[in-house]
This record gives sequence, structure tokens and C-alpha cells, in this order.
Amino acid sequence: MEAYLLNLGVLIAIYAILAITLNFIMGYAGIFSLAHAVFFGIGAYVAAVVSMHVSASIFVTMPAAMLAAAVLSLALALPALRVRGEYFVAASLGLQMFAVTVFSEWKSFTGGLGGLVGIPAVKIFGQEVYRPASFFPIALAVLAAVVAITQILVRSSFGRSLTAIRDSESAAEGFGKNVPLIKTISVVISAALAATAGVLYAGYMSFINVESFTLDNSVLIMAMVIIGGTGTSWGPVVGAALLLLLPGLLSYLSFLPQADIGAIQQIIYGLGMAALMIFRPGGLVRRGSPQRKARPKAAPTRAKRGAVQ
Amino acid sequence: MSGAPEQEVLLEICGLSKNFGGVVAVSDVTMDLRAGIVTTLVGPNGAGKTTLFNLITGHLGRTAGTVRWLGRDIGGMKPYRVARLGIGRTFQDLRLFGGMSVEENILTVMEPGALPFSGPRMAQKRARAAEVMERTGLAGKRHERAADLAYAERKFLSLARIMAAGARLWLLDEPASGLDPNSYEIFLRLLREEVAAGVTVCIIEHNLDIVVGISDRIAFLDRGRLLADGDPKSVLEDAALSAIYFGDRT
Repeated sequence: MEAYLLNLGVLIAIYAILAITLNFIMGYAGIFSLAHAVFFGIGAYVAAVVSMHVSASIFVTMPAAMLAAAVLSLALALPALRVRGEYFVAASLGLQMFAVTVFSEWKSFTGGLGGLVGIPAVKIFGQEVYRPASFFPIALAVLAAVVAITQILVRSSFGRSLTAIRDSESAAEGFGKNVPLIKTISVVISAALAATAGVLYAGYMSFINVESFTLDNSVLIMAMVIIGGTGTSWGPVVGAALLLLLPGLLSYLSFLPQADIGAIQQIIYGLGMAALMIFRPGGLVRRGSPQRKARPKAAPTRAKRGAVQ
Repeated sequence: MSGAPEQEVLLEICGLSKNFGGVVAVSDVTMDLRAGIVTTLVGPNGAGKTTLFNLITGHLGRTAGTVRWLGRDIGGMKPYRVARLGIGRTFQDLRLFGGMSVEENILTVMEPGALPFSGPRMAQKRARAAEVMERTGLAGKRHERAADLAYAERKFLSLARIMAAGARLWLLDEPASGLDPNSYEIFLRLLREEVAAGVTVCIIEHNLDIVVGISDRIAFLDRGRLLADGDPKSVLEDAALSAIYFGDRT
């Protein structure tokens, strides 16, 4: 039971990283990417290959994976961000399809459809981390770092620029913001941080193949962001936890026919999404509205002002 | 006609044209904007006034003609580069950053740089934002979301942004439309203070009382052409122009 929970905890941490980094571009810059699983995959494959052939130290695999994802994200960002919203969605979909083909066909690097087997365990300061109990804190630490980095960025001038672009691109340009450059930087940061999830995943599972990096997964990550609350600090974490806990919770309901559990899960997802869009269209976590901090006690009422006049 | 000769020419427009397919939105407009002069663009709807702004700021590409800023050709430049030269604008539909607070709307225009943590020091920016909010009557709304503001407040936030951006030339697209008389007085005072402090203003306005109240000079556009350009009195008293303006074409 404990191992089961720890395992789930690691996966939630990994998907929370993915959801947070997607939310960084989706919620703040308004860039809808259906290719987030690609950067997850790039991180995982690069980490796997580096740890099999160079070093399994997380201080080697992590930077290598982040760098590779950052560079490859430019391939998406540079052509696509010069056009408007919908075209980026289409371009990211194209990248996702293309990447799945590469992941499954480039046998010498990705192992083809069979994937990579026997990936060495993550090493930290020479110590191999096998057991979920010791891997979980590492996953949490990476998650914490990703949360910290994205939160600092979002609250800085960079975050304000992203939000300004999301709210009015033409006004942002009219105030001197180089919109394509800012969007490109945000995509690169998002991809590089998403790759950290891939590093954890490869080291933890010791086996990866294309199945984990398909369009389905990109959609799942986007669902986590939307269900949790787009543009909120903690929404993506809540969304990731919820969508990963749901299958487990369902299997505890013994009256459900176990053979049909997959279909039932899909029905529950569907109903849940519909209900969410009706009752909480902004997601489960509400967007922190700035005015709560320091609102003046009571504005003079209309009647009072009328009396003065 | 356009101001005393010693006033520096900031913006020089020459033979500027814009076609949208077969529609001529701006046709061969030549005019200049001089330092310290308030120029008002008037003309019926669809005359090409906003299009002219968009051509100056680079939000639209020109079909023909040149735009010079302090003698330098800026035609074809991207909007963000034009903005960084000191040309600021407001939009008819305001285009506030609706999801951000009033203060954040003002802070972000002081941070044009793309790199994280660029721009002046935070304390400096906050002080400037506080000053701008004070002058535009938004001090009490500092943490309010821009999208939640009342109409007049939204208009003032649009002005606050351009003030904070520190632009030398302000292109204001109907900044006073829909303002109640009280707000309008505040707006007018603010504009006069800024002009006195060295800002050059070009303003699109329909209300002729307002036009007379603040303009040093009027440029009259119709169907993309510049029909008249001169002191307010002579332009407004032109019978042919007022016939066009009030829809009484012959």
C-alpha cells in the first residue's frame, strides 16, 4: 500500500511539473500547445541515452535534457509564434505528430516502438536512487524547484509581459514589447522545465517508449491545466493529482464491473468535464484576484454622495 | 499654418497611403506633427483617422509613402520599435490588460524588455505608478482588476498607461468619448498639464466642443484624404467641410 501511494506520488509530481509548465505558456501567455508531451519525451529520451552511455548523475542528465528540449522548442516557437493563436495550435499538433513518428522510428536513439529498456537509476552524488521511498523526495524537490522558478517568473516583469500579451497583443506591442521574442522565451523556458519531468520519468521507470509521449498525453496534460484552473498558481497541481487519482479511486468501487472500468472512467471524465465547464468554467482553483489584498474598507455609498450634491 | 516655424517637427508624414484590397483607407496624406502642438484629427466615420494612427505606429503596413520620426524613416518598423522611439498610443476600444490590476497595467508599460527582470528598479517603477495613479484618480483602485473598472476609470487607465510609458508623442484615439462632464474636465486638465510638460498630442475626436477646447490645429480627413489642415477656426468655419462632417454631402 505504501509503495502504491509513493508510486502514485511520484507520478503526480511528474505530471504536476508538466501541467505547471504548460500552464506557464497557456495560462499566462495564452499559447495553447498540443505538443507538451513532446518535450516530456525529449527530456526522457535524452536523459535515458545520456545515463546509459555517459553518466546517470542527475546533474548531467538534467542539464542535457533541458538543453535539448530548449533547443528543439525553438523549432516550434520560431516559425509558429509569428502567427496568431489558432495557427500555433495547428503547428503544435503537427509537431506532436511528427515527434511521435520520430520517437517510434529512430531506432538507434529511441529504441523504436519497443523503447529503451534498462535505463540506469538516477544517481545523486554517486548514490543510486532505486526505491520509490527515496525517489519521491527527489521528485518533490524538482517539482518545488519548477514551482519556484515559474512563480518567480510569473510575478516578475516577464510575467506581466506575458499576461499583457495574453490580454491584448496589439496594446503590448504598442507599449514596446517584442511579442514574438517574449513568446519564444516563454516557450523555451516551458519546454526546458517540462524536460525535467522526462528526466525523472526515465530514471524512475527504467523503461520508456513512445506510448507515454503521444497526443493523448498532451491532451491529458492540457486537461489537468484546464480542470485545475488555467492561469492559477496551484490549479495545475490540483488537476494533475485529481486526474491521476481518479483511476485508482474508481478501482476501489467494487460494485463497478472491473472489465469495463476503462469505459466507465471515460464516462466519468466526460461528465466531469461538462459539469466543470458549467459550474466552474475557470477550473477548480480560482484565479487569485489582486484586489483582495488591500481594498479600502467602504466606499461612500451612492446615497451619501447624492446627499452631498 | 501648422504652428510657429521654430517648433521642431517630430513626425513627418509624406504621401502616406493604405489600401485594403480595393478599398482606399488612407490616400496620399502629407502632414507633420510639431513639438508641443495639439493636433486634432476630425472627419466622419471611416475617414481613415484610426488607420492613420495604425500606419504611424506600425500596427498596419503602409501601401505607399513615408513616415519620419525626428528625420528618421520609421515606415515599416514593427510597432514595438516605434513605441520605443517615444510614440505612444491609446486605442478606441482601450485594449487594457483586463486580467491585470490597475497597478500592473501601469507597471508593465515601463517594462518593455523581453528578458525576465528587465526594466528600472521595482521601487522606482512603483513610485512612478503611484504618481500616475494619483494624477488619473486611480489611486484607490490600485489593486482592482482593469476589467472590473467603471467606464470612465477604464478611460483614465488607458491614459495612465501612456503617461507611465513616458512617450513623447501621444496618439489618442477618442479618449474623451463617453466621459461625463466631471471626468471630462479632469481629462482636459490632465492633458493640458502634460502638454505643458512637453508632450505632443495628436487626438482623434468627434465632439466639436472638445475639439475647439483643446486643439491648436485641426486636420480634416474624409475618405482617406486630408482635406484641410490648419487653425481650428478656419477649418471649422469652412462650409464645405462641415457639410461633409454633418453628412450633408452634395
